[in-house]
Amino acid sequence: MKSLISKILDGNKKNKLEKFLFSIVILVLFKIFFPLINATILVLINEILIFSSLSLAFLYFVEITSTKSDNPISLTLNIGVLSAVLFFIISLSSAIFDTIENIEDVNGVIYTFSSVIITQLFILFAVYILSSFQTFYSMRQKRDKENYFNYLLIAILLSSFSGTISGIYPELQFVEKTFFFIAIVLVVFNSFRVSWIAFLTKKQKIVILLTSIIVSTLFGLNFAMFFENNIIEQIVSNFSPGVRVSYRLIMLYGNIYFGIIFFTTLFHLPTAGAFDQKSEEITSLIDLSKLMTQVLDFKELADSLTDATNKVCNSDSAWLVTIENNERSLVSVNNIGYLEAQNISDELLSEFNGQLTDIISMNKKLIKIKLKGDVRTYVFQAIIVAPLKVHGKTNGYLFAAKRQKYKFEQDEKKAVGAFADYAAIALENAKLFKESVEKERMENELEVARNIQSRILPSENPKNDRLEVDALFVPAFEVGGDYYDYFQLGNNKLGFVIADVSGKGVVASYVMAEVKGIFESLSRVIHNPKKLLIETNDILKRSLSKNSFVTALYGIIDIENGKLNFARAGHMPLLICSEGKIKEYLPKGIGLGLDFGTIFSSNIDNMEIELNNNDILMLYTDGVTESRNSANEEFGFDRLIHVFESNYNDELSNITRSIFEEVSIFSKEEQQHDDITLVLFKWKNLKKSLEKLNG
Amino acid sequence: MADFNVSSRIDGDVNLIDVKGYLDAHTAPDLENEFNKLIERKRFKVVVNFSELNYISSAGLGVFMAYVETMREQSGDIKFSNLKDDVYSIFDLLGFPVLYEFYKEEKEAIQKFR
Repeated sequence: MKSLISKILDGNKKNKLEKFLFSIVILVLFKIFFPLINATILVLINEILIFSSLSLAFLYFVEITSTKSDNPISLTLNIGVLSAVLFFIISLSSAIFDTIENIEDVNGVIYTFSSVIITQLFILFAVYILSSFQTFYSMRQKRDKENYFNYLLIAILLSSFSGTISGIYPELQFVEKTFFFIAIVLVVFNSFRVSWIAFLTKKQKIVILLTSIIVSTLFGLNFAMFFENNIIEQIVSNFSPGVRVSYRLIMLYGNIYFGIIFFTTLFHLPTAGAFDQKSEEITSLIDLSKLMTQVLDFKELADSLTDATNKVCNSDSAWLVTIENNERSLVSVNNIGYLEAQNISDELLSEFNGQLTDIISMNKKLIKIKLKGDVRTYVFQAIIVAPLKVHGKTNGYLFAAKRQKYKFEQDEKKAVGAFADYAAIALENAKLFKESVEKERMENELEVARNIQSRILPSENPKNDRLEVDALFVPAFEVGGDYYDYFQLGNNKLGFVIADVSGKGVVASYVMAEVKGIFESLSRVIHNPKKLLIETNDILKRSLSKNSFVTALYGIIDIENGKLNFARAGHMPLLICSEGKIKEYLPKGIGLGLDFGTIFSSNIDNMEIELNNNDILMLYTDGVTESRNSANEEFGFDRLIHVFESNYNDELSNITRSIFEEVSIFSKEEQQHDDITLVLFKWKNLKKSLEKLNG
Repeated sequence: MADFNVSSRIDGDVNLIDVKGYLDAHTAPDLENEFNKLIERKRFKVVVNFSELNYISSAGLGVFMAYVETMREQSGDIKFSNLKDDVYSIFDLLGFPVLYEFYKEEKEAIQKFR
């Protein structure tokens, strides 16, 4: 059947409409040519034409009605209106017109046209109703059982044809009766496909209950009227006896189907409320799970949760409390005051000393709360407290309370538990999201800090015949705030600085930038390292926060005669390697920012040193000595001295490299957590070298 | 990284803070909390016992700098005691001994408040 229909009538909606209209035009033309049919052959052609246009109409209407497959009420109303119109036309016309005594006498264009119009109207209405039945039939069906409906269509078709044939050969009437009976059996059988009623809401069920009884009665009347002798029945029978049969079957189908709908709905009505609630619960859960993946704002989700709790669990009030770092905070309230909810939860949770690990429900709970001075008493018929648990940790509570109504049912309690689980997961998600955002923000910040740092540090070392310079800087993942720089002071003097800003990251890198600015400008005007550091400290007073400080060592080398003058502000000592022997120079001086008054200025000294040929100066930051190995030991001062000593004869760049290699090997299993900076100078006494050469 | 622990004791009007382990940028907030609590309770005489502290970073040093002013304004102070040699050398290098009082024993520090 399916393949047959699909073969003949494939195409879209518009196509189907065209085919259907075309078949009607042919039918009308046929009727004009043969208004009265006597010959058997003409009767058969008449029937075939009528039923093909009927089938085409059916296929077209199914397209329309199937779009309403999720709205049984509107479908019922449509059918109801159509059957009412049919009823109205029949009763009105039988009241106005008498039956025609002798149908053979009636002739002419007027009769032909009115009969075609009336019959077509009836056919179309009936077919539309039939197609609606198919939509009803396939509504909410899990398994595909369309076959039974197709059997019914075939039975209707067969009984119609046999109806026509028995008009010509009255002795074949038993065939018509048999097919009619089979069709009725199938109608009854198919009428039990009413499972969609169960899915209606209570309101919809009431609407269906009222309309179905009216519609069923209308169909019954329409069916009965076609047994009586009236003008419409006469016209239709004259038009086509087969149409009369199928019309009656469709009316009967309507009568039985809506009758069954009525009774089924009637029996469903008492449980409708419970069913509504269940489906509400399912919808809420679906909505919530959607929300969970879309909403990253926990507050919004919490509001939906408390709302859903009230709806599903029939509670009057619901609220949600979260716990973070041992602090409770009320995130969402539904149908209860904020202060009240807070006080009630404090009161309830204090009863359990925060040791509530499982969902509990309490009945007849009396809670007294002091609100703005006066004591208020709350009487709850029932309260549920459900902990929000993730990985065995409770990070909040969901409360649901009933004031007037009865206690909570078991399934309502379970629902609260389910919502609490949702909340727990969502809360965890929100937290993880926040953390990842925070992490990203920090990484961006570090990127900025590293950028600043790399711009601040000198891009190349000064080059001079008498002073060789080499530097090594290895930034930590979290920028550490190390800084070093050189300042050309006239032709034969070089200023240098090494500094370490306390703290890490962006803040440290900004302070570093400021320190660079200060040294850049002061080094040009102040040629006394001690005075320069005192001035620097004074300037930093305005920008350094209370808990931060800067250590620095500033010095000036006279390249001509090897005179070194330097001062130290809390920084690591200056090391000088002279003929393989290393000496530590540590003039007094406290860190920049530790004190902004006389304590700083009276506790700092200059130190003057006369360098010898090939003396090596080493400046470093604590990142070198405080590098740690997996046993948590520091690289330390002694190791640094040792590496320095054993490599002093090497190229300057090799010395720095050896030190860094040793530090790396030592702390290879640990992350470098501070910047590592090394600056080395090697002074050559050209005069002495020349003397040597000359001597 | 490594652990850090801070706890508080009381000896008359003097508060003793015991610091243990590694005091760096990540653990400094714990110590800050301790100081905040003391200020809330208006207790300004503090001795920090370093006997079990193994390491202090610049951020850790910053904590004392941040609170010492408040304590001194309220005629209190922050004094240090029982430092291990390597921890003391960090303070020393920076010049802390010029600004803060260091004692070998906790008792001496407490005595200084009286």
